[in-house]
Parts: sequence; structure tokens; C-alpha cells
Amino acid sequence: MTGGNVHRFPAMGCDVAVAGGDEAAVARVLERWEDAFSLFRPGSELSRVNDAPAHVIRVSPLLASAVQVALDVAAETDGLVDPTLCGRWTEIGVAGRLLFRPPGLALDLNGVVKALAVDEAVATLDGPGFVSVGGDLAVHGPVDVALPADGAIRVVAGGLATSGTASRGAHLVDPKTGVPSESPWAQVTASGSSCLAADVAAKTGFLLGNDGPAWLDARGVPGRFVSVRGEIVENNLWAGAAQAVETCT
Amino acid sequence: MRNSRIELARERARKAKTAIGVLTAVVFGVAFVGAKSHAPGHAKGKAQPLGAPSSFERAVRHSVAQGGQIAPAVQPPPVASSTS
Repeated sequence: MTGGNVHRFPAMGCDVAVAGGDEAAVARVLERWEDAFSLFRPGSELSRVNDAPAHVIRVSPLLASAVQVALDVAAETDGLVDPTLCGRWTEIGVAGRLLFRPPGLALDLNGVVKALAVDEAVATLDGPGFVSVGGDLAVHGPVDVALPADGAIRVVAGGLATSGTASRGAHLVDPKTGVPSESPWAQVTASGSSCLAADVAAKTGFLLGNDGPAWLDARGVPGRFVSVRGEIVENNLWAGAAQAVETCT
Repeated sequence: MRNSRIELARERARKAKTAIGVLTAVVFGVAFVGAKSHAPGHAKGKAQPLGAPSSFERAVRHSVAQGGQIAPAVQPPPVASSTS
């Protein structure tokens, strides 16, 4: 399907595309996430938490669950996708609505928030379609998606996300070094069971460098890597899924 | 005559109070024993934690990086995946 009419508008600092549902409902979902987590809004809950001097802070259920997801992602990726951006994610804890963290240790949940917002927004669709925020998307029914450096893929279920340095320069920080990653890849696209899964896989695949394709294969995640020289490398799962196999005539 | 009527009334009141007291004790005792032995809300053993098994938690955590489903594209794509 092509998603019928595609509605486009800006949100969360990105271009948003919606098909198959009420774009106003999607916009409300995205605004709720941005209002809670944007570090560019001094009044956002995350900004206030980062400014708070307390060691234990009572936070909203949304923020508590997002931090817990970020910690799960950090554990899954061995700290590569880190909500502290400095390797101190193990000092963060969540119990119910209580957030524990050393005062002064700021949280940056950009690694998971956009994808979580997309996953919530796609659930509002009442028909086949998709929600894309800045090129990270989740689908409700099969959708064909154009890929970096030419080509296209059909996303049958779940989400698709691309991470890299192509549009914003080196913005992915390697927590082990504290500096922007020097990956051999310019862009990494991954297919996940959700936009969050895809986004985490794409970021990790990028940060792992040459080990990225095998890491994604080992976890059952199709991944497509565009090197800084423009070469396209597909891991085994992507290559297998992208090959058309006609069994009926 | 009058005194004997008052005595009779007092005697009836005493019997009634005794009966009510005994009946109350019996009802309480039966309910107590019944609740102890039958009511599911009354724990007879050590309380067990309600948390999910650790194997389940590990499985959920692992799904953070679970693969999606893709196939060859067949139509002009209405949307693109890119870095943002």
C-alpha cells in the first residue's frame, strides 16, 4: 500500500509524515512527548529533573517508564545507547515513580523518546498506514519505504529507523570515549519489531562499526549499512529478506 | 404483686441478654473458623512475591532489539527512512 494521502507537518524538531489516520491525533501524541522530554524547553519535565538538586525525585509515570526503557536499552546494548551519554547509566535507578540519580548527572532520553513517541502514535491509526518522524517510522500494515543511497524496502510489520552522520554530522556520541563516533558507516538502517527496536538497532549498528552487521544478525535484526564511501553492505537477514522469491506462477 | 411483675421482667431481660451474648459468641466463632479455613483472602502460608519471573523479565528485555519484518518493495514508496 502507499498509505493513501500523506499528511506532513513539523514536530519534535523533525518532519513528520502520517498516512492512514488522524494527523491531529498523531500531533497530540508527539506534542505530549516533546512537552515532557525536550531539553530545548526549560519547562519540560526532563529539564526540571536535570536541574533538580535532589537525589530522589518523584516523576510522572511517562518519564519513569521512558527512563526504565532507556536503562533496558543501555543494558541490551552494553552501554552503547546510554541515557547519560557518559557511561554512568548504572548509577540511575527507577522504582515506581521514584527516580534515583546522582545530582548533577543529566539525562538525555533522545535515544529512545522519538521512537517511543512514534510507536505510540502509530497505535492511533485506524487503518493501514504509517507514522514517520524524521525518517524513523512505524507501520500499520505493509508500507514501501525509500532507503538512503537509493533503493526501497517493504516494511511488513514493525518499524524502520536510520542512524548516522549523513544529515547532522557526527552527533552520535560513543559513551566509551565521550566523543562523536568515528564509524566506518555514514548511515545504518535497521528493521525492528517496533520503531524503538529499529532505532536502537540502527544506533548500535552504527556505533559498533565493522562489528555492526554481525551484531544485528546475531539478534535477528535486518540491517543495511551505507559506508562513508557510499558502499552498501547488507547483513545476512536484510539480504535474505530483500531478495524476491517467487514460489507461485 | 407489683414487685413480682418487676422481678419477672428483670428475669426475662437477663435471659435475653445471656441469649444474645451466647448467640453472638457462637456466630463469631463459626465465622472466624470458617474464614480461617475456607476464605481465599486469608493467607494460610507464607506470602509469595507477585513480580514476574526473572526468565520473563530477561525475555522482555531482550525484545528491546528484536527484528522486524521486511520484504522487497513493490510500489513507489510514499515515505523515506533517513537520519534526522
